[in-house]
Amino acid sequence: MRIWLLRRLTQLSTIAMLIAIPMLNKKGINALMGSLYSLAIGPIWITDPLSGLQVMLTTLSADSTLMVSMAIPIVFALVFGRVFCGWMCPQNALSELFDFLSGKIGVKRPFRLPLNPMPRYAVLAVMLTLTVILGFPVANLISAPGIISVQISDYFMEGAVGVELGLIGVIVIFEFFIIRRGWCNYICPAGGFLGIFRIAKTMSLTYRKETDQCIKCGQCIKACQLGLNPMGAMIYPLCHNCGDCITACRRAAGKENPLSFRF
Amino acid sequence: MSRNPLRPPGAQGEIHFLAACIRCGKCSQVCPYRSIIVASLLDGLSMMGTPYLRAREIPCYLCMKCPAVCPSGALDRKLRRMQDVRMGAAIIDKKTCLPWQGTLCRSCYENCPVFNEAIVMDNQLRPVVDQKKCVGCGICENVCPVDPAAIAVNAKADK
Repeated sequence: MRIWLLRRLTQLSTIAMLIAIPMLNKKGINALMGSLYSLAIGPIWITDPLSGLQVMLTTLSADSTLMVSMAIPIVFALVFGRVFCGWMCPQNALSELFDFLSGKIGVKRPFRLPLNPMPRYAVLAVMLTLTVILGFPVANLISAPGIISVQISDYFMEGAVGVELGLIGVIVIFEFFIIRRGWCNYICPAGGFLGIFRIAKTMSLTYRKETDQCIKCGQCIKACQLGLNPMGAMIYPLCHNCGDCITACRRAAGKENPLSFRF
Repeated sequence: MSRNPLRPPGAQGEIHFLAACIRCGKCSQVCPYRSIIVASLLDGLSMMGTPYLRAREIPCYLCMKCPAVCPSGALDRKLRRMQDVRMGAAIIDKKTCLPWQGTLCRSCYENCPVFNEAIVMDNQLRPVVDQKKCVGCGICENVCPVDPAAIAVNAKADK
């Protein structure tokens, strides 16, 4: 299956699952439960590693059930990279949609920051420090996927949403008018933390210079919403393996294209 | 929402709960009575996303489903018996409670799930709460015919 189609289906099924969870639970079916902070798929529990880490810091304890549920997304990130962000995160899906629209309208943004993961790590460090000082998981206050998932659940369970959903509007406006994909690239603490889990064997975008297939058309750069250069060397940890550059490359250079995912 | 809201069964004190709750909402989703509601940002930064109950509207019926699904241990997953729950303890306002004012009423006594233990009737048929046995579910607060309720749960304070 084509990468872009598989990814769109994954994005849509994630959102469908977030809507299905409260609807099923309202009927008393608890096979699927939770939100993107912590999810239960039958007996399998999956917890956002950053949320889990914060709880471990605030309670100064290591609950074994919590740690096992954190291990699943960590192993997933070590194998496939930050595919949670690129393939599942509902905020990323929303950001991609609005970035597409801003491109259609031709929005000119006043700022362009150099591509660097440090701002995201700085936000993460501040959030973890505040978590320790204030004694509750502070990063969850600005976890966009967590807020979206909990608010979808609230809406279908209780028929109302909380004001925190406004953060999602702020992110969209910020990325639309001020800094392109600025939340994901420079702020998101959840994405920043997942980016730490990278080893040499992690699935990465690979550009094979030696193939003469590369026609230097630059379609891959155009396709990357995060503003990365897939032919360059330093795209990680900002790249979240969405694969849009591979699709663009395939269209321009044909089947033996120089861009692909490699382990 | 009060500063010390009623938390679901299995929560330790408020400070520990705010530290350990991951704000995932599973306890609220599993609750068959819709007793557990999720706080919003308007309730405070540290409260946002945490589960709580408004016992006067919907109390806890002690089905014991929520502690078992908590991923972070904010609710004690090992809690099974409803008699072991300690969400808080009910307190009677003798100035408004009907039997304490001389009118017959047994609503809280009859409906208490820890029947004839957490709430007992004294020799003049007035309800008395045993603070050690009360689980803090709030069913008494829910059924009290006086408005505002003459019996209400005080959420567990920090140890």
